[in-house]
Amino acid sequence: MDTTYQVKSIAEQAADSLNVGILPTLGYLGLALLLVAGLVVVLGMGLIWLERKIAAHFQCRLGPNRVGPFGIFQTLMDTIKLLFKEDIVPMRADKTLHLFAPFLALATPVLILGVIPYGPLQQVADISIGVLFVSAVGGFGVMGILVGGWSSNNKWSTIGAMRAGAQIISYELSATLALLVVVLFSGSMKLSAIVTSQHDGWWVWRAPGVGLLAFVIYLISSTAEINRLPFDIPEGESELAAGFHTEYSGMRFSFFFLAEFINMFVAAGLAATLFLGGWMPFHIGDWASFNAVMDLIPPVAWFSLKAFFIIFLIMWVRWTFPRLRVDQLMHLEWRFLLPIGFANLIAASLIALTNFYFYPLAGN
Amino acid sequence: MALVSPKQVRYERRSIAGREIPVAVAPTLPRHSVPARFFSGLYSLLTGMKLTLRYFVKPSTIVTRQYPNNRETLKFPDRYRAALKFKYVTVRQPITDWEFPDPKSPTLRLPASLLRDWSRGYEDASYHKCTGCKNCEVACPNASIRVVTRIGEVTEDREVDRFIWRMDSCMYCNACVQACPFDAIEMGHDYENAVYDRRLLVYNLNRQAGPPASLVTEEEDITVRRRMMSHRERCGGPIPLNGHALPNLHALPVTPIVDASTGSIERNSEAES
Repeated sequence: MDTTYQVKSIAEQAADSLNVGILPTLGYLGLALLLVAGLVVVLGMGLIWLERKIAAHFQCRLGPNRVGPFGIFQTLMDTIKLLFKEDIVPMRADKTLHLFAPFLALATPVLILGVIPYGPLQQVADISIGVLFVSAVGGFGVMGILVGGWSSNNKWSTIGAMRAGAQIISYELSATLALLVVVLFSGSMKLSAIVTSQHDGWWVWRAPGVGLLAFVIYLISSTAEINRLPFDIPEGESELAAGFHTEYSGMRFSFFFLAEFINMFVAAGLAATLFLGGWMPFHIGDWASFNAVMDLIPPVAWFSLKAFFIIFLIMWVRWTFPRLRVDQLMHLEWRFLLPIGFANLIAASLIALTNFYFYPLAGN
Repeated sequence: MALVSPKQVRYERRSIAGREIPVAVAPTLPRHSVPARFFSGLYSLLTGMKLTLRYFVKPSTIVTRQYPNNRETLKFPDRYRAALKFKYVTVRQPITDWEFPDPKSPTLRLPASLLRDWSRGYEDASYHKCTGCKNCEVACPNASIRVVTRIGEVTEDREVDRFIWRMDSCMYCNACVQACPFDAIEMGHDYENAVYDRRLLVYNLNRQAGPPASLVTEEEDITVRRRMMSHRERCGGPIPLNGHALPNLHALPVTPIVDASTGSIERNSEAES
């Protein structure tokens, strides 16, 4: 039995419902807004709690366990505390930019949240240049950090922002090269089409070796892009106080914090979508009965499982490895990841030409 | 990772500054190729991840103690030093005087299990081991200990009256415990010693004034034994509160201490200053 999924984004459904009337359209748009806003809130609260809990257990501690069962309301209480804290702007800071930067930093991941397919019908906008959009907007994320660090008029903030700029511009290359591999395989930039192209198997294993290598490169470079350990030199507590957000306090600081965690979800969700099949269940070619069993799990659950597996991986790496030095960071990117990424792209194009996949593509 | 094994080390004599000096020469380590370094680095990273994963999945590795909730089960290392305390020798002694003692008698320590003791016909009395030799006072590097002695009524000999220990200036060096020839004091595990007034950090360590347990137990008559010892409060005496009253704390009765060795009367302010 071969299941086919009806793939339709919320934006398309809203456009279709225009034939019925304006109210269903507005309803769909409200649903889309609710989805993104709810994701921001739930992820902000949940991931921060998860990070603290997981970090604690990696370090032989217990983590928050006082507010609510297993401390699940700790983040809520912290948010309330941050809301009531004084919002300090340094005297010589560029006030407008200083106050604007956190929103700029938060806007990037929220924009990408809108194009990630969480399920066949749970996607806000399915744009045909999805991968291009994601890498372009992802690169824009550095603006918030640069503006925030520069406008603070603090040497640590500025150094942190400059480091962030250099780091993100460098690792953007490797990330995009890894994304291109998947674009080559699936023949589309549309994220939903990339997911449906993995019906017979995920790209991470279907292209022998190349997919796995691209996945690893993407994981490393996206970890660097979202400024997490071991690549968190823009913050670098031991070197730069708190890096680009040294001068931020209260709610604006928490916006940077929130942006960091939503960025992590975005990176994990994209890795899941491109390499691990997104919401597509785990299928192996023509094993019909196995695939039918896997189809029992709903697509949204598949997406969440994969995304949270990668989030766990990112956290695991963070709480194990020490921070890289600035020159080591650049060394890793320009002398290792970039050449390997190019070689991998050439290998991928050879595979795509010869259709040398496990379970070859039917169309070629 | 390359390490030098002992077999690779050569031993030879070299002339350095005009003298023949034996030296051990380690070979220059070869720098491994890039793939070898890559895989050894990868291996070390994976080793680290394996370790942290073991911490993550094994709850038994958690070292956190949820302190205020675990007072009952809290365990301390043997060498943990929280507060100096006296060691006591518990003696089970038959009760010969069946007269019920006066509860307000200042010379008698009333144990909580007095009634049970009387019904059994013997009582558990604990006596300290301090002879008042002042070795600890001499050993203390910052004068946190003051041993006041008296001439006992029964023994007519020098014995400890008050063993005053200032927690506020003690630095827990353990020198007093090591200096004690009679094993009379030890560093106890009584934590939670915080107070709101530092004058409360001056303790009277001995529960009774009197001769050490070895002398007390030589005396057969229990009434004489009781007369040897007189009760002391933990924060008692003129020194702890220095004669002042604090909010919620009454000033303790101030009685001048007669130092048996010199016969002079100590002034209250002397110990505080």
